[in-house]
Amino acid sequence: MSATTLIGPARSRVDGRLKVTGAAKYSVEFEVPKCAYGWTVESNIAKGKITAIETKAAQAVPGVLAVLTHLNMPKFKEAPKKEGGGGGAGIRNEERFPLSDDGVYYAGQYVALVVAETIEQARHAASLVRVSYAPEEPLLTMEAAVRKADKPKKNNDTPVQINKGDVATALKDASLVKIEQTYITPTETHNPIEMSGTIAHWEDDQKLTLYDATQFVKGVQNILARSLGLELENVRIICPFVGGAFGCKGAVWMHVLLAAMGSKVAGVPVKMHVTRRNMFVGAGHRTPTRQTLSLAATKDGKLQAIQHVSETLTSPVGQFTESCGSRSTGVMYESPSIRVEETVYPVNVSTPTFMRAPGECPGTYALECAMDELAIALKMDPVALRLANHADNHPTKNVPFSAKHLREAYQLGAEKFGWSKRNPELRSMRDGDLLVGWGMATATYPAHKMSAAAKVILRADNSATVQCATHDLGTGAYTAFTQISSEQLGVPFEKVTFELGKSDFPFGPVAGGSNSTGTVGTAIHEAAVLLHKALAELAVKDSKSPLYNTKIEEIGMVAEGRIGIVTDQTKSDSYADILKRAGRDSIEVQSEQKPPEENKKQAFQSWGAHFCEVKIDPLLPRVQVTRVVSVMNCGRIVSAKTARSQIMGGVTMGIGMALTEETSYDPATGLPVIRNLADYHVPTNADVPEIDVSFVGEPDFAFNPIGARGMGEIGITGIAAAIANAVYHATGKRVRDLPITPDKLI
Amino acid sequence: MNDDLQPIDPSELAGIDPTGGLDELLIFGHPGTRRHFLKQVAGTSAAISLGPALMGIGSIEAAETDATSGGNASAAVTHVQLRINGRDHKLEIDPRTTLLDALREHLQLTGSKKGCDHGQCGACTVLVNGRRINSCLSLAVTHEGDEITTIEGLATGDELHPVQAAFLEHDGFQCGYCTPGQICSAVACISEGHARSDAEIREWMSGNLCRCGAYPNIVAAVKEAQSKTPAKAS
Repeated sequence: MSATTLIGPARSRVDGRLKVTGAAKYSVEFEVPKCAYGWTVESNIAKGKITAIETKAAQAVPGVLAVLTHLNMPKFKEAPKKEGGGGGAGIRNEERFPLSDDGVYYAGQYVALVVAETIEQARHAASLVRVSYAPEEPLLTMEAAVRKADKPKKNNDTPVQINKGDVATALKDASLVKIEQTYITPTETHNPIEMSGTIAHWEDDQKLTLYDATQFVKGVQNILARSLGLELENVRIICPFVGGAFGCKGAVWMHVLLAAMGSKVAGVPVKMHVTRRNMFVGAGHRTPTRQTLSLAATKDGKLQAIQHVSETLTSPVGQFTESCGSRSTGVMYESPSIRVEETVYPVNVSTPTFMRAPGECPGTYALECAMDELAIALKMDPVALRLANHADNHPTKNVPFSAKHLREAYQLGAEKFGWSKRNPELRSMRDGDLLVGWGMATATYPAHKMSAAAKVILRADNSATVQCATHDLGTGAYTAFTQISSEQLGVPFEKVTFELGKSDFPFGPVAGGSNSTGTVGTAIHEAAVLLHKALAELAVKDSKSPLYNTKIEEIGMVAEGRIGIVTDQTKSDSYADILKRAGRDSIEVQSEQKPPEENKKQAFQSWGAHFCEVKIDPLLPRVQVTRVVSVMNCGRIVSAKTARSQIMGGVTMGIGMALTEETSYDPATGLPVIRNLADYHVPTNADVPEIDVSFVGEPDFAFNPIGARGMGEIGITGIAAAIANAVYHATGKRVRDLPITPDKLI
Repeated sequence: MNDDLQPIDPSELAGIDPTGGLDELLIFGHPGTRRHFLKQVAGTSAAISLGPALMGIGSIEAAETDATSGGNASAAVTHVQLRINGRDHKLEIDPRTTLLDALREHLQLTGSKKGCDHGQCGACTVLVNGRRINSCLSLAVTHEGDEITTIEGLATGDELHPVQAAFLEHDGFQCGYCTPGQICSAVACISEGHARSDAEIREWMSGNLCRCGAYPNIVAAVKEAQSKTPAKAS
């Protein structure tokens, strides 16, 4: 009974009732007796050494239980430096342990921790800690850090410097139409509404429970166990709900380690709720990027060369790199020559991390703006240019894409939007006094596969519980996995309970890279196969079963709640009867965590097209996005309602990226000058129009048995370019550094 | 450390409304409670009341720096009785405790969320005497005698409030963290008569940020709930 339709049912979230009543418990909301509060002190220089820390006044504040600095901080054990999210090692984007020495590597670095009985006491005492520094000249810009520049060969085992064909010759060919432009994106900060937070509770000196807001409970478990020298099974991570993450809760950040050590020293559980201010330095951000695109095409629009040179920043205490060119230009268009160059500069700025579509998001912004500029240079329709360069095969791996339906996405999007009515002339379309612009761009994100395992408990009353240490960040995972479990197990949706967010459960990978639906879905599929086999083994030995003495291999699920002979479905038996006759209340199976199967004959990638309309008052050129049509090709859509929300969310974050979001730094001190939600403008309700989301294509069963390629990230790719292209169409002004604020259009 | 917040010299403040006009915004509870507030926190330092208002960002951290000169601020404890969701609660709290922290840390009413602690995101929105306020910007001690409604107080037994039901139906949330604030805000938005069109809902719900980007669904939910809840004459 496999689900073969493109789009699954549109159910309301199974965890929705808990969320609308306020009953859903997020990490720092768990009630732990005698819990104290941690509050940090941060450096106000970007580079240098701490020469003295005065903590007496803080320690004298009533209720203060501990003040930790590098002078009295217990040592962490070592943990390996380079770690990924697939295997379970956990992710550390910042490799230096907190308070481990007197060095300051970026402004805002935690330099002390106060633990006190109440928030008010902890906050007050932290304000009394006085730190003296010997400051050094920080490296803050690409130019300043040029001697430390690195050109990494690979990012997560994928090559990032690409050379296909002869780009240099094509770019010199006088018969070709060429454009070359540089695009800038600023530092962007995730800013989920739930700030990161942890409660650390030592049950004894060898047993630690953490209620942590994380995208990776198994990763936190592993890193905490090794950092603190504990047995893995003695570290428990609990996280049933995450209040948004977008990447910033994937790695273990310093406040988690501080909470654990602070709790150990203070001898009481410690709650650390990272302040919004510190979310701008202590929980990652998207690095700023500078990308130069050079395109050359024949007069009929066939690309002959694409060169994508991208430059990004990382921190001196981390290794995260944002691969813009390889993840956009490296996959997007057919061209005989493609060159991608990526350079990373370490600067004295807090450590960046993955933020929704890391690489693809800024990369598609630059590439899709450049394609718009090329279309204009060629006097060609932007959709026609993209169709002319559509890649049936992966342009740099040269294998066919599986279940790629991008042409349909362009077509449906254009139809729904009314693209044919677009007057290509700049500043030609008006709504009263307002300038109207229409723009479009391609969206893309790879299908990632990781490893997971799932446990299934099926009961004689035909209910089932399914468990995996995966996560629901608002993605709809609870609902999608309940749906997949129902389909794969053959148990009614209402009778499935899906549990996640506990390190006690079988392995789930980081909820990142849009991998969860496919990866955990595959684990549920494998557990369902085991369940049906286990039921078959009971039935074939049972003389009262219609399946008595049948070969196990011939048996499979034939209907909801029934296994039978797959080729002769007159012979079948119900789960409930099999269990009852065997005298069993329940049966339990668990799939095995194994490395995902590699299919090197095909490439797996999701696609989409965004079309958008902007309206701009020519006197005060504030851009309002008034209409968005997004058509996505992501394989099977398991859960229609939550899937639509995922794309809407990506588009909304892209509106912020295009128009308002920027974390800027003081060029003299390296301190972020934007550290709150009044200055960092995430889109508000009034900034976001109706977003028309559709899906095209087919389930991608070559990718996994669920047919789903995931969709958490693709929505944000391309949308900033679609908006920038619409702004150009409306105004005739090409803004190549985001965000497109009114001052850049005057 | 408050490296970007400097103490305010009270001598510079002569002639300035010590609340910065923020009484209107219910920073210190319902209008008219400023005197009550000052009385409640008299044991600490009047500077506490000046700091946040004049900094214009409602930051309790800003006040902290001033409070230190007042001496033993952190030892003070005050008694307050709060009426929340129809029940009275007696609390013994630090006078600096915000209404939000009183709810979350002292009463385990964790439905009201902390998203910024600066009145900028709306996740902590609760209803005080029927009006929506940011509970992170309001000190708990100023709310004696107020009728406080939180997300936990909206449903009637198992029956969801129409706004809650509409959010569930229209997928007006993803992670759910801004949701209690959105729902409380929507309840007030409807009763204020500010939910009569999509444009009006967008504008009057813009004090509640949703980073997941559920806005179009929130608009749909508020619109449906509005149609089921007759607005008061405005």
